[in-house]
This record gives sequence, C-alpha cells and structure tokens, in this order.
Amino acid sequence: MLAFVLRRVMQSVVVLFVMSLIVFSMINLVGDPVDMLVNPESLPEEIDRVRRDFGLDQPVHVQYWKFLMGALSGDLGNSFIFGRPALALMAERFPATLELATSALVISVTVGLPLGVYAGLRPDGWGTRIIMGGSVLGISIPTFWLGLMMIIVFSVVLGWLPVSGRGETSRFLGIESSAFTLDGLRHLVLPATNLALFKIAMVIRLARAGTVEVMALDFIRFARAKGLAPRRIVLAHLMPNILIPIVTVLGIEFGTLIAFATVTESIFAWPGLGKLVIDAIVNLDRPIVVAYLLFVVTLFLVLNLVVDIMYALLDPRVRLQGDET
Amino acid sequence: MSETRAESAARQESGLFSKLVRSDLSRPTTLISGILLLVIAASATFAPLIAPTDPYDLATVSVLDGRLAPGEEMFDGTIAWLGTDGAGRDVLSAIIFGLRTSLTVAISSALIALIVGLAVGLTAAFYGGRIDAFLMRIVDIQLSFPAILVALVLLALLGKGVDKVIIALAIVQWALYARTVRAAAMVERRKEYFEAAICLELSNVRIIWKHLLPNSVSPLIVLATLQTAHSISIEATLSFLGVGVPITEPSLGSLISNGFDFILSGAYWITFFPGVMLLATVAAINVFGDQLRAMVNPRLSR
Repeated sequence: MLAFVLRRVMQSVVVLFVMSLIVFSMINLVGDPVDMLVNPESLPEEIDRVRRDFGLDQPVHVQYWKFLMGALSGDLGNSFIFGRPALALMAERFPATLELATSALVISVTVGLPLGVYAGLRPDGWGTRIIMGGSVLGISIPTFWLGLMMIIVFSVVLGWLPVSGRGETSRFLGIESSAFTLDGLRHLVLPATNLALFKIAMVIRLARAGTVEVMALDFIRFARAKGLAPRRIVLAHLMPNILIPIVTVLGIEFGTLIAFATVTESIFAWPGLGKLVIDAIVNLDRPIVVAYLLFVVTLFLVLNLVVDIMYALLDPRVRLQGDET
Repeated sequence: MSETRAESAARQESGLFSKLVRSDLSRPTTLISGILLLVIAASATFAPLIAPTDPYDLATVSVLDGRLAPGEEMFDGTIAWLGTDGAGRDVLSAIIFGLRTSLTVAISSALIALIVGLAVGLTAAFYGGRIDAFLMRIVDIQLSFPAILVALVLLALLGKGVDKVIIALAIVQWALYARTVRAAAMVERRKEYFEAAICLELSNVRIIWKHLLPNSVSPLIVLATLQTAHSISIEATLSFLGVGVPITEPSLGSLISNGFDFILSGAYWITFFPGVMLLATVAAINVFGDQLRAMVNPRLSR
C-alpha cells in the first residue's frame, strides 16, 4: 500500500514538473509582454531597461531555472501588471472562488437530488418527462449564455438582483464571505445558480439512475412487504445507498466547478481567481498565468491522488493492478 | 461462415440506419432534432446563398443601421428580422455565417482528434504491455483535467485564431477517442479472426489497418456525434471569453460576446438570438446522439 501511494505521489510530481516545463517554454513563444508594459512611444533605451528589469533579456532556459528555484521556495514571481507576488494575488482572490463553487455545490444537491429521486420513483410520470427533458436542456445549454440571459431577466428587466461584483462581505466564524449579509447574498444568487446549473443536471441523472437501481433490490422489496411507509423507505433505505456514489462524483467534480468558475466570474465580474487569470491571459501577464496553471494542476493532481488512494484502500484489485504495470 | 466480417459489419450498419429511420418517425423529439440538424447543416453550408446580407461586406454594412430592433427596416430597405448589432450588421445573417465558423471548428477538430485517437488507441491495444501502459497513462492524466480548462490554457499559449482553436480542441478531445478505441480494440483482439491473422503472419500494419480498425470504429460514431456538440459549446465559451475566434471571423460565441456590451442598454437581441441558435444546435446534436447511442446499445435505451 505504501509503495502504491509513493509511486502515485512520484508520478504526480513528475507530471507537475513536465507541465511547468511545457507551459513555461510555450508561453515564451506568444506575444512580448514588454509591449504591454511600456508606452508605445518609449525610447529604445527605455524598452531595453524594462526588459532587463523584468529579466526578459535572458535566454529561456535561464529564465526557467530562476523560475523553478523560485517556485520551490514558494515564490512564483511578481505580476507584471500589479507588481505584486503572483501567489499573494491568487491567495487574495481564492476565497471568492471557493465561496462561489461551494454555493454552487450546495444548490446543485438541494435542487438536483429531490428531482432525480422523484424521476427515479416514477419513471413514466409526466413530471419525470419534464425533469429529464430539462436535464438534457441543462446539459446542452451553454452556461455562459444562460448567465447573460439571467442578467437580462433578473437584473435588466425585473431589476431584482445586481449585475456584478461580490457585494458586502462580513466575517462569521473567521470566514469572510458574502453569504452572511443580505447584500452579499443578492450578489451571490445569480452567479452561484449559473455555475450550479450544469451540476444540477448531472445530480438529477445520477440520482435517477441510482434510485432505479436500488429500488429494484431485495431489501427494498422486503421493506415494502413489511409495510413500511413509502416516505420512510425513501429516506431511510434509498437515500443512504444512492448518496455514496453521488458524493464521490461531486467530490471529483469540485475541481471542475473551480475551473468553470472562470467563465461565470467573467460574466458576473466576480472578483475571484478565474477573473484574475482571464485578465492575465488577455494582458499577457505571464507570472499570473503560470502560477494559476501550476495551482490548478496541483489541485487536480491532489484530488485525483486522494480518489485513487481511497479506491485502492476500498478495493484491493486496484492495488494489484497497480503493481503489475 | 459464408459472410465476411466486413460484410456483417456493413449489414449491421445498414440495420442501424433503417432502425434509426423507423424509430425516428415514431419519436417526435428525434424527428424534430433530425430535421433541425439537417436545416442547420444546410444553412451553414450554403450561408452566402441563404443569408439576407453579407455581414463581411463592409460596403453594404452601415453604422446608420446600428442597433435596430427585430423587424425594423434597414437603410437599404431589407428588413432585419432579428435586429442589427452595434456596427449595423444584420443579426440573422451574422448568425448564419457564425454557424458556419462554429461548425467548421467543431467538425475539423473532431476529425483531427478522431484520427489521432484512432492511431494512439489502436497502437496501445495492438502492442499492449509497456507501450499500452504509457499511452493510457497520458490519456488518464489528460482526461483528469476539465476540457474547458485545458483549452483555455492552450489558447493562452497559442494565441487567437480559427486554426489555433481547432488545434486546441483537437488536443482536448483526442484522449477520449483513444480510450474508447482501445477498449473496443481490446475486445476484438481476443476474437478468433484476430488470432488467425496473427498466425498467418500478416504484417502488423496490415492487421491494424485491415482487421483491427474496421471492427473497432463503430463506437466512435456515437462518441464523435456527442463530442461535436460538446466542442461547439467549448468553442463558443472560449470565444466569449475573448481567447477563441477573433471578432473578424465571428462564430456564435463571439457574436454572443459582442452582444454582451449591449445587454444593459436593453438591446437583448444581439446576444439572445445567436445564443438560441447555439442552444438549438447543441441540443439537437445531443438528442440525436442519445438516440444513436440507445440504438447501438439497447440496454441504455431507458
């Protein structure tokens, strides 16, 4: 077991290293950040000075070596635009993204689970058709366009909710979030719902499939024969059995939520990580792009590592397979 | 066995097709999605003939026509059924041309990804062992990242442009095809005709090309259909974020993005109608693909 974990950790480190190498060498092929940094009318000497100051006059491999040594000591360089450490900027923005992703997760379960279970219990009902049709639509509908439509309906036409930003935040139990003030909640509703939409459709499908599968099993039949109330069968016998796979999938999908937050944040001007990186891409702010990328790669590697280790703990066959290759 | 594998495969294919036609007619959703797909494909192909105006022709596009509401008459007398955008382009014409760009990107990237995926998947399945383990490890790693993120990063590295988006989307998708082909080819490998081909000492290339390929390709048809919908969606998202197709050659995504600036002033049609088109296209492909999948694998039909 220890060998398995060690090997997977080593593999992840290699992937991380290769990724940093690829990204760093490729990003040097696109655009010259100096063009963005200086006034177009600057003298050539001025441009040269900026180039030297940012270390952009050195060969790529020297730049990479410097970057790598910095990264190992927790320094991912300074943002060209903000002139501050990239890591600190990201740490500042991360809570907003985390808040958005968590709210979306909560919404998708509270909305998706009951609908999915209902659809699974009444496979031929009219309600089920509507729910399943809606879930196909939910998977097909481009998230970003739906976000725009939500702005048109709820902000422009009805004027109920604000268009952009995070609103007022407050501290509760040491966590700063906009979920604790009314103004913050009003700002949070649209982006969180927008981000949750795709996941709602997914939870509905998972819950329905799980319900159909579990309801056909013997212990449910037994509970029915015993004369248990349908309500109790669903809550006490069905739920625990379908929740395990749903929670597992959602755990893995949390990373996707953070990734998709880039789109939602751009639409609603939510001051999170995603907005930061999109702006950085447009402005050729290399250190931020590289730092964000390494962050995301690490996040996904850790998520996958945890999932793999848990599977290996639960299922010995995975372990054996791992030993063969 | 008087029938060769190729013939039986062909028979299966035609069976699939007639089944599709029959069940299509019995299910209204599939019929509608099928017709919608045909209309969409036709209007994208014949865009210059169908579109009322040419949105690329600067001589006819006039700023004076800017932001006309749907149904209003343009300066030269044509009626803008879906309104005009800020630069005075007819939204309907822009959508038809945008559809063309979107479909071109999605289909060409799907084709490239399909070819690369086929090559990798078949190689992995045929040679097995270390080569297989190595290739599938790369596939696993690639698939552990969400497609939109990989595409976003690639475009941040590659820069803007239709060709760049195609490359990025192909890189995003190849792994999925590779895994699917490998799974199908692994099943074929255990069959007798494959062993016979090995015993006859046919060359590796010939076995892969003539025996493994034709028999492993069918699950890809369904996958390619659904993936096309997915990549249309990704392309639109990327263009919306400003890292995809440049505004000089608008796709549905860049049209929507273009309309974003006018939302607050109430000119909803510039962003609404391209989005409806995008939704209709993606939904039609998804419904159609689901039907196709149910036919290939009857167990999933409910």
